[in-house]
Amino acid sequence: MAGLASWSQLSRLQSFAAQSAANNALGFRFTDVTSQAGIHFQHNSGAFGGKFLPETLGSGCAFLDYDRDGWQDILLINGSDWPGHKKSRTTLRLYHNNGNGTFTDVTARAGLDVELYGMGVAVGDYNNDGYPDILVTCVGQNRLFRNTGKGTFVDVTNAAGLGKREGFSTSALWFDYDRDGLLDLFVCNYVKWSLEADIFCSLDGKHKSYCTPEAYRGATCWLFHNRGNGTFEDVTATSGIFDSSSKSLGVALLDENRDGWPDLLVANDTQPNKLYRNQHNGTFKDAAVEAGIAFSSEGKARAGMGVDVADFDNSGAPGVAITNFDNEMIGLYRLSGKSFEDIAPQSGVGIASRNSLGFGCSFLDIDLDGWLDFAVANGHIDETVRNIRGNVGYAQPPQLFLNGGKGTFREVAAEAGDGFDHPKVGRGLAYGDFDRDGDLDLLITTNNGPAYLYRNDQLAGNRSIRFHVVGTKSNRDAIGASVRIFGAGMEQSRLVKGGSSYLSQSELPVTFGVEKRDRIDRVVIDWPSGQTEEYKNLATGRAYDCTEAKGIVPRDRY
Amino acid sequence: MASLLQQHCHTHPALLRPIGPVTRAIPPLYARGVSRPSPSDRSPTIGLVLGLVITFSAVLAYSAYITWQVTGLRKLQTELVDRNRKDSLQLLRIQNDLNLLAVAMRDMVSSDEPYPLTAWSAQFQRIRTDLDDAMRLEAGFAAASRTPEQSAFLTSSVTQFWDAVDRVFALAHDGQEKEARKQIQNSLQERQAALSTAVARFLVQNTENEEQAGQRIVQIYDRVQRQVYFFLAATLLAILLNGLSLIRWNRRLFARLAEISERRSELAQKLISTQESTLRYISRELHDEFGQILTAIGSMLRRAGTHAPEGSSLRADLQEVLETVQSTLDKVRSLSQALHPVMLDEAGLESTLDWYIPTIERQTGITISYEKQGKPFLVDGAAGVHVYRILQEALNNVARHSGAKQVSVRLRFLAQTLELEVRDRGAGFAESPNRRGIGLVAMRERSELMGGQLVVTRPTDGDGGTLVHLTVPREKAESYAKEDHSVTSR
Repeated sequence: MAGLASWSQLSRLQSFAAQSAANNALGFRFTDVTSQAGIHFQHNSGAFGGKFLPETLGSGCAFLDYDRDGWQDILLINGSDWPGHKKSRTTLRLYHNNGNGTFTDVTARAGLDVELYGMGVAVGDYNNDGYPDILVTCVGQNRLFRNTGKGTFVDVTNAAGLGKREGFSTSALWFDYDRDGLLDLFVCNYVKWSLEADIFCSLDGKHKSYCTPEAYRGATCWLFHNRGNGTFEDVTATSGIFDSSSKSLGVALLDENRDGWPDLLVANDTQPNKLYRNQHNGTFKDAAVEAGIAFSSEGKARAGMGVDVADFDNSGAPGVAITNFDNEMIGLYRLSGKSFEDIAPQSGVGIASRNSLGFGCSFLDIDLDGWLDFAVANGHIDETVRNIRGNVGYAQPPQLFLNGGKGTFREVAAEAGDGFDHPKVGRGLAYGDFDRDGDLDLLITTNNGPAYLYRNDQLAGNRSIRFHVVGTKSNRDAIGASVRIFGAGMEQSRLVKGGSSYLSQSELPVTFGVEKRDRIDRVVIDWPSGQTEEYKNLATGRAYDCTEAKGIVPRDRY
Repeated sequence: MASLLQQHCHTHPALLRPIGPVTRAIPPLYARGVSRPSPSDRSPTIGLVLGLVITFSAVLAYSAYITWQVTGLRKLQTELVDRNRKDSLQLLRIQNDLNLLAVAMRDMVSSDEPYPLTAWSAQFQRIRTDLDDAMRLEAGFAAASRTPEQSAFLTSSVTQFWDAVDRVFALAHDGQEKEARKQIQNSLQERQAALSTAVARFLVQNTENEEQAGQRIVQIYDRVQRQVYFFLAATLLAILLNGLSLIRWNRRLFARLAEISERRSELAQKLISTQESTLRYISRELHDEFGQILTAIGSMLRRAGTHAPEGSSLRADLQEVLETVQSTLDKVRSLSQALHPVMLDEAGLESTLDWYIPTIERQTGITISYEKQGKPFLVDGAAGVHVYRILQEALNNVARHSGAKQVSVRLRFLAQTLELEVRDRGAGFAESPNRRGIGLVAMRERSELMGGQLVVTRPTDGDGGTLVHLTVPREKAESYAKEDHSVTSR
């Protein structure tokens, strides 16, 4: 017995050693801290056998500091039981970060224990009061929750003029498209679906199965202009956003032509993606076809799900990633001249993503080496997919692509540790530095399953520099601000942005990995208002508060 | 003495009679059915080159034909099939745009969006841009297969459709939503449907074209296959003909070679028999005629000597002449014996060798160990001559070339064969190509004349030297004379 015990100990030690060696090679380690952090969440898709299309798609998550205590809190969106099939009451969940690695469920206290069929979330301080407000996209009526600043939220949907508008909304984001200092709201809609208009789809002619999006008419995205008085005006039609053929799931903010005006990239399912180029006059023009991002390189409209935009090659130009269906690679685009070029096949991302169905995705510098890596939450929509495609499962491992710095990525999920690569029916994905150790932790939601919080710990001693940017003339969240840092042989840029990924929102502060550098030469911030500010010789290993036109203040830690 | 001999020769009737084979007319070289090669078939090279040229031509022609067919196929593929496919893709794109328009129009008519009809203008504009692009590309691909009327119909229909769209949006812009919707239902949707039908028809036409092209491709493949078989057969035939002509030429060449070899052998045998009969004749003449004359002279001189007074100078002179005559007689007899040992004819091979070997031992100073084995049988005269000559040549070679001081000669009378072995332990002569004199050839020819076998080897027992081994079948050795090969009979 003793021998057996020591043997099992030995093998555990060996596996630990192997794990450590692998992690050491990566320079970071993930630890699943969901339970120890006190996050006990179970997504409810409402599935009872009715096979309603929305059941397969939810839900999202967000990192936000709703109480401005400097610690990133967590918001998890939830679905609900369908009318006539009520079994339990499920609501979205707000987890307050206690600052010690644990969270407290404050949903009820915050007034968010509202039963709704939630899909996605967009966090933004639309009234510039300093406290982040929450838009929850829903099947049915979307909800806008205004942050009172006292730890509670008030549903202002109707008062804000967003009521009486039912749809099948998915991702959403806040951005200031007219640069008037007020955050406007963009909402994606998937298809024209309602309980009443549900279509019977079947694989065998007898049993109902989930329909593909082709079965339903598309639905236009919405653009709401912030009047500045707490109300919004629907400018969908007048802004050129209206498109009744779209089946949108993801949206990302970018400045595609680097004219200082925010543009939008919308990932559409089975329809061409849209690149809404800001015309500087309150209107947009779709330039996705001419930019080469509407279709796959074979000219096919793929099943776009999640989307993120970032300067992943440190060229200063935005790069794009769009997750697609299984048997369709992730689209990884780099600006080449005036149009995008899909480099997925040669980058290592394409082949690795062929057999997975990607949803949430984010560019983030996981190992703080100065190159943006790429994380993807995968999971199929069809529980029986393995019967049809043997090498594709319903639950699928998330993927983590480390950026090699030369346009190539290496998938390292299996080495990241603590079950990160265990198959999940992944949907939402967001990042945030919840433990304020300077690196980015990952939050993943699953369909009809739990959420996962992975703490990221650096093993190689890499450090970062973080910026909390606050607009004064610009919108207070400084969404749309460009932050660039310059250091010895290094140049990186980030856009302060909401949205991206799928149904989710990552934290607003921007994080730059600087390897082991003590200082950076300078940081340049281009505010949405048009102002540019530059600060020199900043120590790394901490966070800074940058307030528009007021200077930069270092925090004593991250 | 010389003049005396000369005179005798001139007068002796035996010298006047024909001397057998020597005087016989030599037959022409190609007398025995071997025709001289005509200029045309003197060499097979021309035929072979011709065959090669034909084969090459066939291969070249075949390659050219295949290249031509493949080029045609490629042309068909790129110009027709690919073009058709590209056209179909553009038609599908057009169809897709038309469907998008149909869906958009349905949305516009259904009024379930809280937006005015003008909201759709951007969407229509996007579709229009794509449709125009698709139409432009499609027109380029479809030029070959479409009639001008069809193209004109498509273009004008699209133009009319967009004109109608513009009118609808103009109405919507003026706030006449109801009228605009009516226009959509009454005009736009119909036009869209008509366009969609036309495009569908073009797609069907393309599919038919593709099928036809497919059939043509299959036909080309069939034709190529047939031609491949034909060319393959032709090439094989050319190779076969070439091969046959090569075989024919080879056979002719070998036949000629065999004939030449036969002639050569015949000549050699004739040479040998001529030489042998000549030598025999001279030997007989010397022995019989000159011997008798010299004996007679000797008797006369002896008789004359008795008449001369004893102690007279005449008697002494006669005695001197008598001795000279006697010496001449000995030399003549010796020469006669050397030219052709009469013993062979009279006492046989065995006795001749018994006499010859000590003689040659004396002459050359080589020690010869002579051994006889088996029960001797009578060796025919002609065969005996050949065996004797072979031994003579072998020993001559030993004396001349080997430098050996000892030779062993063994004559074996076996049940089936007569064997002669001459073995020296000298330098050997078989190796050097320069030594291939007439001697060895003559030895071989002689052995072949007897139906025997002559093997000259360099023994590997360490002593070196040369071993000449002659084997003659017993019946040949015994009965050679009975056949028409006899040297003497000629």
